[in-house]
Amino acid sequence: MTPLPDAPDRLPRAVLRHAGARCAALCAVSTAATAAGLLLPAALGRTLDLLLAHAPAARWVACCAGLVLLLAVLDGCAGVLTGTVDARSTAWLRGRITGHVLAVGPRADARFGAGDLVARLVGSAAQAGTAPGTLAALLAALAGPVGGVLALGLIDPWLAVVFLAGAPVLALLLRAFARDTSACAADYQRVQGRIAGALAEAVGGYRTIRAAGVADRETARILAPLPELSRAGHRMWRVQGRAAAQAVTVAPLLNLGVVAVAGLLLVRHRLTVGEVLAASRYAVLATGVGVLVGQLAALSRARAATGRLTEVLSEPAPGFGTRHLPPGPGRLELRGVTARRGGHTVLDGVDLAVPGGTTLAVVGRSGTGKSLLAELAGRLTDPDGGEVLLDGVPLRALAHTDLRRAVSYAFERPALLGATIEDTIAFGLTAPAADRIRSAAMAARADAFVRRLPHGYATRCSAAPHSGGESQRLGLARAFAHGGRLLILDDALSSLDTVTEHQITESLLAPGAGPTRLLIAHRTATAARADTVAWLDGGRVRGVGTHAELWQDAAYRAVFAEGVPA
Amino acid sequence: MRAWIPALRARWRVLVRLGVWSVLEAGQTFLAGYALARALDAGFLAGNTRVGLLWLGAAGLAVGAGAYGTGRVYGVVAALVEPVRDRLVTTVVGRGVREADAGALSGLTQQVEIARDTLAGLVLVSRSFVFTAAGALIGLFSLAPLLLAVVVPPLLAGVCLFAATLRPLARRQEAFLAADEALAEDLGAVCRGLRDVTAAGAEAQVAAGTGERIDAEQRAARALARWSVARVAALAVGGELPVVLLLATAPWLLGHGVSAGALVGALAYVTQSLLPALQNLVHGLGTGGSRLTVVLRRLTPSADSAAPRPEDRPEPPRTTSPPRLQGGPERHASPGPPGPRTSHDSPGPYEPPTPHNSHGPNEPPTPDDMPESHEAPAPPHLTGPPEPSTPHTVRGRYKAPAPHAPAGSGEGPKPHDLPEPLGPRPQPDPRAPRHEPVQRVPQDAPGSSTAAAAAPPPPPGAYALTLACVTFAYGPASEPVLDRLDLAVPVGGHLAVVGPSGIGKSTLTGLVAGLLEPREGVIRVCGHAVPGPEAAASRVLIPQEAYVHGGTLAENLGLFRRDPVPERELLAAAEAVGLTPLLEALGGPAGRVDPAALSAGERQLIALARAYLSPAPLALLDEATCHLDPQAEARAERAFAARPGGTLVVVAHRISSARRAGRILVMDGARTACGTHDELLRTSALYRDLVGGWTAQPAVPVR
Repeated sequence: MTPLPDAPDRLPRAVLRHAGARCAALCAVSTAATAAGLLLPAALGRTLDLLLAHAPAARWVACCAGLVLLLAVLDGCAGVLTGTVDARSTAWLRGRITGHVLAVGPRADARFGAGDLVARLVGSAAQAGTAPGTLAALLAALAGPVGGVLALGLIDPWLAVVFLAGAPVLALLLRAFARDTSACAADYQRVQGRIAGALAEAVGGYRTIRAAGVADRETARILAPLPELSRAGHRMWRVQGRAAAQAVTVAPLLNLGVVAVAGLLLVRHRLTVGEVLAASRYAVLATGVGVLVGQLAALSRARAATGRLTEVLSEPAPGFGTRHLPPGPGRLELRGVTARRGGHTVLDGVDLAVPGGTTLAVVGRSGTGKSLLAELAGRLTDPDGGEVLLDGVPLRALAHTDLRRAVSYAFERPALLGATIEDTIAFGLTAPAADRIRSAAMAARADAFVRRLPHGYATRCSAAPHSGGESQRLGLARAFAHGGRLLILDDALSSLDTVTEHQITESLLAPGAGPTRLLIAHRTATAARADTVAWLDGGRVRGVGTHAELWQDAAYRAVFAEGVPA
Repeated sequence: MRAWIPALRARWRVLVRLGVWSVLEAGQTFLAGYALARALDAGFLAGNTRVGLLWLGAAGLAVGAGAYGTGRVYGVVAALVEPVRDRLVTTVVGRGVREADAGALSGLTQQVEIARDTLAGLVLVSRSFVFTAAGALIGLFSLAPLLLAVVVPPLLAGVCLFAATLRPLARRQEAFLAADEALAEDLGAVCRGLRDVTAAGAEAQVAAGTGERIDAEQRAARALARWSVARVAALAVGGELPVVLLLATAPWLLGHGVSAGALVGALAYVTQSLLPALQNLVHGLGTGGSRLTVVLRRLTPSADSAAPRPEDRPEPPRTTSPPRLQGGPERHASPGPPGPRTSHDSPGPYEPPTPHNSHGPNEPPTPDDMPESHEAPAPPHLTGPPEPSTPHTVRGRYKAPAPHAPAGSGEGPKPHDLPEPLGPRPQPDPRAPRHEPVQRVPQDAPGSSTAAAAAPPPPPGAYALTLACVTFAYGPASEPVLDRLDLAVPVGGHLAVVGPSGIGKSTLTGLVAGLLEPREGVIRVCGHAVPGPEAAASRVLIPQEAYVHGGTLAENLGLFRRDPVPERELLAAAEAVGLTPLLEALGGPAGRVDPAALSAGERQLIALARAYLSPAPLALLDEATCHLDPQAEARAERAFAARPGGTLVVVAHRISSARRAGRILVMDGARTACGTHDELLRTSALYRDLVGGWTAQPAVPVR
């Protein structure tokens, strides 16, 4: 699918390159702003001295005004640029990673889990997207404090000495801040987690609760830990207050120290009043080292986030061939297919052939690789050995469009994508016509319940209550609406009641022209209606034949007894 | 926002404390400039080093005091914010429990926290600005009142400029948050559906759709970034311009008695106090305010904008009419034997409705309130059920359980006015698929009493459950799930409901349980109208998804009881439904339950035992035993059937379960058929199909 221009390990550089020109501009603007900021105190001091001496100072006042104006303009530009660069980089990363995740497909879900993928695409991408902007502003963030200390030294070396002697205290106190809060935050989150857990249970059991009218009692029970949460919360604020008190002491005290030394120098006429003012300002600029620390921390977070995105990119996406599917009945063939999952072999040299237009039911105990077989048959995943062919063409060699148009899937738990019910049935390579959607819904016995929804087919998926059976019928309707020469039903009837299943299979499995059907079955009735049954056991095909033939074997019968409580 | 303003108002004492501690900070600000000015004027410039250092020392002490004040301010902010947080958590949890709002979970863990942090941030920042500004302005005034004339106008202009941009900025902020959430939601759907996307070959379409969301989010973020210029402008005007003005007016100020130290002090006030405070205000308020507004709006939706709940989304017109008015004296507050009357030949067809528990006086039913077919004969039944208007019809039929009284005679001409009785008494009505219930003439054909013997003889004339002409649809335009359904289950009856999945069996139990409201018709539980507290106390629903919480087993089992359940009763109930092995494994009733560690069947057993202990006479088992094996299911159902005075409605999951019931309701779309097993085998093709499907695999669960 999406071609990958650069290797995943170059992601950080790729982001930077993407942000390129803007980053350079941001770097220039923010550095210029810092430079202007560093010049301003000196200009202020000089102007003040001239004014106090009643010397003509109009040019210096204008100079100060110009610097202030320049500073404001540069700050404004830097703000806009930072926001823009962050937004662009984040969007670029998201587009890039989403494309890759889609290209990788179910494997991405299997490796990371859907929730984690979302977290990476939303959170990590936003964090990683700040990297270029932070990096570009780093020079400015560094120049501020360093320039402040240097300027102090230029005014008088003693001023720099006082500042640097006091600075370690600042660092120590700021560290204490980080240590303290995390401990009581953990406490707080624990209590919060307890409330959330109890609420999650109650949300799941709302029918019970509402029917009995015990909502108030349950609410009270869930909220029982609230006082504890409140105590933990108060503790958090107190600790934070202490930390904040320490933090707000440091900079003013450092500043006072510098001013005191400057005052002593003033008495000895080594400094002017204007220089005292400038020194006081430079001391403030120099304490901006805290900002630098924050920037560096943000940069390291962005780096870690970029690493998490790189992990996603390192999962290879399967490629597609260029061959087209010749006309054919949809003959499916598995040749020596071997597939491994988590280090052990799930399918071991499976050979199967399904003649075009017939139905093959795959049965077997749970964990024998039935679903994996269904994934392989339509190339949701590739085998580790062997080959899967459709009408004589290996699936790997097929072009994307040809493959997906030829194969339709219905799943046990379909994900219903699309805004409305109609969209979810139409979801696919090409959207079928409305009447085709209706007839597919009818064939899947979904039409009746869809029409009972608040807005029928236009009901939003999020607003439609689906039971497992309803979701399955929508998933079936989606598969039916798209057709193709191979239809794979992976346990797609399991949540249906027997009557509905019977009605669907009756029309689905009717002999005659139609797609080749591969279905994973758990019920004898389904297996009995298939032309052929493949009996999987321990990753191998243990038997192929009609249901009646296989039924002679007690071990085969035992497959269907599985899961029935004694 | 409205949620916390009264909270702030109610806590004036806290606000006073906040003010007191903030004064320390204001004092620090005041001294920062004033001491500098005095240190210069009276100290260093006068050659008096000691005085200069003393003033600076005083400023240093003020820094310490101010820091102490800052520390205490956090404590006061906690007293302000934590109660608000408590209230939000209470609101969110309450709504989550009442409305099964899964969004409440993210509300609880994320949005409440955002609200808490931003509210605290707003309080801290705006308070800090107010007190810092006050300290600095008082300082300027003390140094030289003239200084105020130079500093205040641009400061005010800056604050006004910021205030003017606050609203458009908040809109951009909201737009950004909305775009961000829409993107996260979209990505969530895509990541959960990767397999389906791949299978459908729809990668390109999905990528395009998600790409649009990504672009929208980027546009919103950039629009927000552009508005950051407004903040810079406000800062430049309010914080930087006074510096330039002070310098420009310096000759004039110096000429009017402003000392050199005062000028330096004024510059220090502006650059070291006012500018940072304004900076914090602009950044804190600009993002925090709109964020808080958005989050609070989401957390505390007003009543009319509340999101529809999953089950009663379709806003069916409420039938607030005489059906709710009940004869006061007959109302049964206690869930005892639910027969509404002891004498079944009471004279009147109905008691005049009293405005006992309804809002209106004795208003006659209006055509809007009920189906047209009811206009004439209906009021009796709607006002006084389960008392029928023609007492002998229904009443008579239930006098004797088995070979019944010749009862059917009188009911022919009364179309549809009576709930169809179901229960021990056989009623071989193949209620032939009907679309026009008005035309239905209930037949009371003679039939054999098959299951009658099993059920205890019900009190005459009493129904545990009646549905009269109940229609329900999920939307005004959608097809009804139930279409004018009549149903009556006598006390002690045992009814099974069967039908294909999604046909509306759970809708039926949901209606009886008061989770859904019918569009038309009346439902009564033990004579009490649904919804209503009496009805709620008279029925217990055990849904398929068993509710088990993380308390002790005894707490779980006693959920429906007001007082703790005596241990002996607990153990007996556990034994009755088959919970004893689990109870022992958990270490007795005091054992703590971990819902996640239990199997679905074990959870169902707990829910069954809890319902068994409920004082409610009517038990609704909605596939409540689907994770149990047939033997365990039989045991649990028998236990419920044998509850003294207990009536059982089972949404059947296996044919064995349906066969245990005296009568069976077959649901097939809006049509229904009702009868005993044998009758339905003869008359209902669907029932035959269902039984066929079940018996084909006698040992395999239906699902």
